[in-house]
Amino acid sequence: MGRKRIGVFICHCGINIAGVVKVAELVERAKKIPGVISALDYVYCCSDPGQKLIKETIREKKLDGVVVACCSPNLHEATFRKAAAEAGLNPYLCEIANIREQCAWVTADRDAATDKAEGIVRTIVAKVREDVPLSRLQVGLIKRALVVGAGIAGIQAALDIANAGYQVILVEKEPSIGGHMAQLSETFPTLDCSQCILTPKTVEAGNHPRIKLLTYSEVISVSGFVGNFKVKIKQRPRYVDMDSCTGCGICLEKCPVRVESTFDRNLTKRRAIYRLFPQAVPNKVVIDAEHCRQLQGKKCGVCARVCPAQAILYDDTERIIEEEVGAIVLATGYELFDISRIGAYGVSAVPDVIDGLAFERILSASGPFAGEVRRPSDGRVPKRVVFVQCAGSRDINQGVPYCSKICCMYTAKHALLYKHRVHDGEAIVCYIDVRTPGKGFEEFYRRATDEGVKYLRGKVSKIFRRGDQVVVWAADTLAGKKIEIEADMVVLATAVIPNPNGVELARRLKIAVDANGFQSEAHPKLRPVETLTAGFFLAGCGQGPKDIPETVAQASGAAAKVLAMFGATELYHEPVIAEVDDEVCVGCGNCERTCAYEAVKVDTRRGKAVVQAMMCEGCGACSVACPAGAINLKNFAKKALIEMVDV
Amino acid sequence: MNKYPYYPGCTLYSKAKNLDRCARRAAVRAGFELVEMPSWNCCGAIYNTNTDDFAAQVGPVRNLAKASQLGERLVTLCAACYNVLKRANERLHATGFEQDRQRILDFVDEPFVRDVEVVHYLEVLKGLGWERLKAQVVKPLHGLRVAAYYGCLMVRPRDILKFDDPENPTVMDELIAVLGGTPVRFDFKTECCGGYLTVNRREVADACSLRVVDNARTWEAELIVTTCPLCQYNLEMAQRRKIAGNQEMPVLYFTQLLGVALGLTEAELGFEDNKLDPREFLKARGLL
Repeated sequence: MGRKRIGVFICHCGINIAGVVKVAELVERAKKIPGVISALDYVYCCSDPGQKLIKETIREKKLDGVVVACCSPNLHEATFRKAAAEAGLNPYLCEIANIREQCAWVTADRDAATDKAEGIVRTIVAKVREDVPLSRLQVGLIKRALVVGAGIAGIQAALDIANAGYQVILVEKEPSIGGHMAQLSETFPTLDCSQCILTPKTVEAGNHPRIKLLTYSEVISVSGFVGNFKVKIKQRPRYVDMDSCTGCGICLEKCPVRVESTFDRNLTKRRAIYRLFPQAVPNKVVIDAEHCRQLQGKKCGVCARVCPAQAILYDDTERIIEEEVGAIVLATGYELFDISRIGAYGVSAVPDVIDGLAFERILSASGPFAGEVRRPSDGRVPKRVVFVQCAGSRDINQGVPYCSKICCMYTAKHALLYKHRVHDGEAIVCYIDVRTPGKGFEEFYRRATDEGVKYLRGKVSKIFRRGDQVVVWAADTLAGKKIEIEADMVVLATAVIPNPNGVELARRLKIAVDANGFQSEAHPKLRPVETLTAGFFLAGCGQGPKDIPETVAQASGAAAKVLAMFGATELYHEPVIAEVDDEVCVGCGNCERTCAYEAVKVDTRRGKAVVQAMMCEGCGACSVACPAGAINLKNFAKKALIEMVDV
Repeated sequence: MNKYPYYPGCTLYSKAKNLDRCARRAAVRAGFELVEMPSWNCCGAIYNTNTDDFAAQVGPVRNLAKASQLGERLVTLCAACYNVLKRANERLHATGFEQDRQRILDFVDEPFVRDVEVVHYLEVLKGLGWERLKAQVVKPLHGLRVAAYYGCLMVRPRDILKFDDPENPTVMDELIAVLGGTPVRFDFKTECCGGYLTVNRREVADACSLRVVDNARTWEAELIVTTCPLCQYNLEMAQRRKIAGNQEMPVLYFTQLLGVALGLTEAELGFEDNKLDPREFLKARGLL
């Protein structure tokens, strides 16, 4: 191959680059680099005229290599490669020399910056000399989606994808769908009934011809790559035949075992055979094997005797279901921080100190007191209730460092609903700040204060029992006083934490999570619903605390990303991937152990490493790890790297 | 039998003889021996009221230097001695304290032979294994409802003492369960007893102590155990001053309760030194 004809284009980026790097001098120096037959500068190369200049120069000078010295390749590599391709050049022969971020932006010394810029340009010119034409790899695309978690986020994402015409597998670990939203009473700031707005969606998801609903199920493994995932799902035994059970509920009355209901936050008892709530989708019962007398080997069998549909299956077993999908949405949701972990509030587990979800159940018409506000300990109507915000949130010592975002609003709602139900009751909110950045939120908070909810600014230092009262010690920082409030009940706005099952699943699937366990989006501003692993998308509180409207918006965003992928006729993979030289490879397996994407494996029969092209993200780790030097990253071959360093 | 260098401290030779005696005898029953270190001096607790911080460090550091000649660990019992000695020890090793460290060591004749770790009697007991201790119980507490009161000195400052959860310590609760009692969860495990305010603001200290007792009673405790001679004094005296008749809640050192369960004699248990005599109560419960 003869020497390449390389063109260099130096971008001013307004004054971002030209304000520091001496562009005219750099042009002159670039012209002297071996192989460079043209060097030009332009004020904004990324603009249409800038791209036109590049295209015209490629044609006129018959360039077969292009270096654009500008900003980070993260920003405009795609732009310039597309321009090069339009001018007939293989796009992988166009490279970016970043002279902005780590050059022009980090110094005011114009001479030093110009020298460094020249070095960077020389390096990339050396790379282009070694680059070979590549083409994108075409990937098969299975146009079915998996949605993990069927709270409002998962349901919304599943419905959007299914309504666009694609199949969805919706997996939920609980026996029915709806998630935490099904537990809520009324929703801020409009006070519409949570179940009333949720159930049309659960019903639609439950009946949708393109949604395959797998309840009481968990994803155990995912293999493959974007467009071609193989998923294993474990469905726990329900001990009830889903096809025969009519949801009549006779068994629910006859079962002799009573167990604390987690759906009701342990405020009521359910039976060992149960459904979470009357409007459950699917409306099929389930037997809790841990507490069922029959399944624990004792004499019982009552449910089987009373079931008119003969739906009870004591010998039911676990099932493993395998599915193939092209995209995965994680909607694994949240839990609340355990009160007992906040020493000053929860050491002794005072029964009338409850968390926000428990108060939602108390307010709910289907809750323990049919919507009347009563205390858990003795069923008395509480005449003074203290609401404590930031219980565990914004607390680096005992809780979590972040703001849980939804508590200010739901506390205002709790206090307001309490006042609506107990007219002569006193509602006191202890807060550090009241944060209401949402549509109609500040007005809602104002409504709460207007309707008589008292707001006290100050952290609560201790909560304890005195007789049958709950005493709250707090500071009133506006009055500068220590205060003691004797209350009938205390509601703690405990911190929102990621559902531990979701954290565990993300770790297993190698989806990045942050220090608090929330799943990490690919870019905090510009790619909020994608992950760094192609084909995985995020929705709802598994990614961070958020309220219902924001959750629904994000879920629809994730669905739109899935649909954009499914809408493409073909899926392509970048060709910059690792390749193994079979003649050099000894099959030691260092690459396999190094690869974070499980993309390279030793074929034990042949004793050679094999790269699974579609899974390779082109990071180059295996190429460094290989002691024999048998692995090269395409267009980052060892010879090219040495040329690049040796300028 | 394992032998541990032991630092009793002044109070255990005067007001809290019962704390000390039960601990030594109970240790033998539990399978270890406390060997009192020779010529110990004040742990340094009383100097904390002084303005010169260095004088307060010399006492504990001298004790630690001497203890280093006896072994790797020094067992303490009094909550105040534990707190002061452990903090002085930590500070001696803290980075950024090198200059001050030399200034303190200049006042101490004895050399350090090795690093020494300050531990509490409860940590030794737990380290032996609760199951082993359980096997030595001859008089199980039959579900006696006991509130374990830790006060402040055992658990704070958290980052230095690293003894237990500072808001919800449980080691004494575990001990109570091992002895056959029912540990009572209550809200004032680590709240203030009033401390030295009993000297000059007695009404304030009494209010603090009575709050602890009242909360334990709310949670239906029958008895309180402590680790600290000052807590013990305040909780007993506040009740004696404020409560008439037989409504008092007995307050025992945890070592006395341990002694009861391990079958120590009445003479060894030293209840005559308690300000609220618990003997009638314990007899009624069949524990004496």
